[in-house]
Amino acid sequence: MSTETLGQFAFYSLAALVLLPAVFVVTTRNLVHAGFWLLPTLIGVAGLYALLQAHLFVPVQVLIYVGAILVLILFALMLTRDVMDPRERQTNGLVGWAALICGTGAFVAGHVLFRHAWPSPALKPDGPHAQAAALGAALIGRYALIFEAASVILLAALVVAIVIAKAPPSHAQPKPCGETDP
Amino acid sequence: MIGLPHYLVVSAALLGIGVFGALTRRNAIAMLMGVELMLNAANLNFLAFWRFLSPKAMEPQVFVLIGFTIAAAEAAIGLAVVLNVYREYGTVNLDKIAELKG
Repeated sequence: MSTETLGQFAFYSLAALVLLPAVFVVTTRNLVHAGFWLLPTLIGVAGLYALLQAHLFVPVQVLIYVGAILVLILFALMLTRDVMDPRERQTNGLVGWAALICGTGAFVAGHVLFRHAWPSPALKPDGPHAQAAALGAALIGRYALIFEAASVILLAALVVAIVIAKAPPSHAQPKPCGETDP
Repeated sequence: MIGLPHYLVVSAALLGIGVFGALTRRNAIAMLMGVELMLNAANLNFLAFWRFLSPKAMEPQVFVLIGFTIAAAEAAIGLAVVLNVYREYGTVNLDKIAELKG
């Protein structure tokens, strides 16, 4: 098997690994299963990053998305799941329109992007070490301000998340579903 | 030969699936899962353009790094809000949280 065939095989299997579970993520009735279907999608995206030779972002994707965000989502699902019966309908009345609009939009975008005459790649990316070194130099050099702004945003977001999610004062009793405020 | 268009098609499909999930889910957390899919599609697009159009430039990688940061912040704040809503209303069903509806 030639390298090119191998590359095509890797790309198409990773694309299937990303897209098929993604469909289950948005359609499965059992939300915990939907959360677990995110796992192959996120791993598949990490694999596509590896195919794109963005070596640094493969472990970053696995650590941040699979290690942090997915665990956060599963925790939130398990903390709130008692009210969502898996046998209950999990979608609102928009399904038809949403499927039409998203399907048409994705098809048109994909068609236009696929037909566009993109310039063929002239250069090859650097190796993993040179890439990481260049990214690090860019982050403390030219893009230091953006980097600092991102870290401030992240810090502020996490502090706000803790404040919002903190237990309410004891006099505020949780209201049962359906009752309005007096 | 796998080129830029193939990645862009995968990314467009992933974005479409994410938008569908965000629009149709009744559970707030499931809606956030759709948003995560959309953010993944955006990052995939950035890296595909980086790889095939300007592999020596560092801007796309910086963008993707910022994108990861934004995704983490969005997940943290979104889930904190959802937990608080659950505590207040006893549900995360977006159809039932309609106090501001006129």
